[in-house]
Amino acid sequence: MSTTTQVAPGARSAALASSATFRTFAIVFAIATPVIYTVCDMMNWPLFTYHPGTNRVDLGWARAVPNEGPAMYWYGWTASTLLASAALGFLATLLPQNLTRRIPLALTWLLPIVVLPILVYSLKFFWRW
Amino acid sequence: MGIIPDFLLDYISVNTYWTILFTVHALMAVALLGALSHQAMSVWMPVRAGAGPAGFVTRFRAVHGASYAAAVCVLWIVTFFFGAWIYTKYRMYVRIPIEQAGYWKTQGFFELKEHYATIGLGLLPIYWYFWKNARVPEYDSARKWLTVVLAVMCWFIFIVGHVVNNVRGFGS
Repeated sequence: MSTTTQVAPGARSAALASSATFRTFAIVFAIATPVIYTVCDMMNWPLFTYHPGTNRVDLGWARAVPNEGPAMYWYGWTASTLLASAALGFLATLLPQNLTRRIPLALTWLLPIVVLPILVYSLKFFWRW
Repeated sequence: MGIIPDFLLDYISVNTYWTILFTVHALMAVALLGALSHQAMSVWMPVRAGAGPAGFVTRFRAVHGASYAAAVCVLWIVTFFFGAWIYTKYRMYVRIPIEQAGYWKTQGFFELKEHYATIGLGLLPIYWYFWKNARVPEYDSARKWLTVVLAVMCWFIFIVGHVVNNVRGFGS
């Protein structure tokens, strides 16, 4: 007979939904993601570079190798963003709640709109009329 | 080129393999688009009690938004995963011909699509949290606008993907 306590997935989900720690993490993660992604894109800071022609992965930014196809940075930008946003979200959970409760919730949906012109500008190479 | 498990190629061709992945990606995207559209309409233009006879639009927005939240999160992640997988093929065999043909704006919009697919991923935990706490008035405004923003992003991503497929997708 097992003595391990089984937690139903529904109960786990309910616990997460009522957790102030998860609330803080999720808010900061949502706010950080558009900002960090835009910075990674503008500064070209991928965590790694993928070369689809040869299946090679280089750490950080790497130039495309002649005659070996293009280099892909989007995977690296995504990884940089998710890791950095998760780290910020985790650090925010260490702050007192009276401080994290003051973070405006509207930032979660405003920032994806605010970064739009910057991202469009970063793609200016493609806007040839 | 790209990530293909070798054993699969004993049973299906390379073309079939990518076609299956793309089709799954597209079907998941359609399901996600439908779920987010219903949910966004339900918070943007909620049905009031005694609003008169229920037509198509009323029925479309008269859904219980909270019940869509988990499905939207799962669908976004799964669609993202398949999109990221087929992106290797796209980079080699779709983007290069698109650039050679001079369809720069098409490629620019595709780049914007990939940016917003990642940004959307980062919004999912708080989106899920807001909807799990749908009875907390403090979250009403943020939940409403976050859902609408996610729906707009999803429509943009879907339409761009569709156009790119028309430019150089199946049969090209």
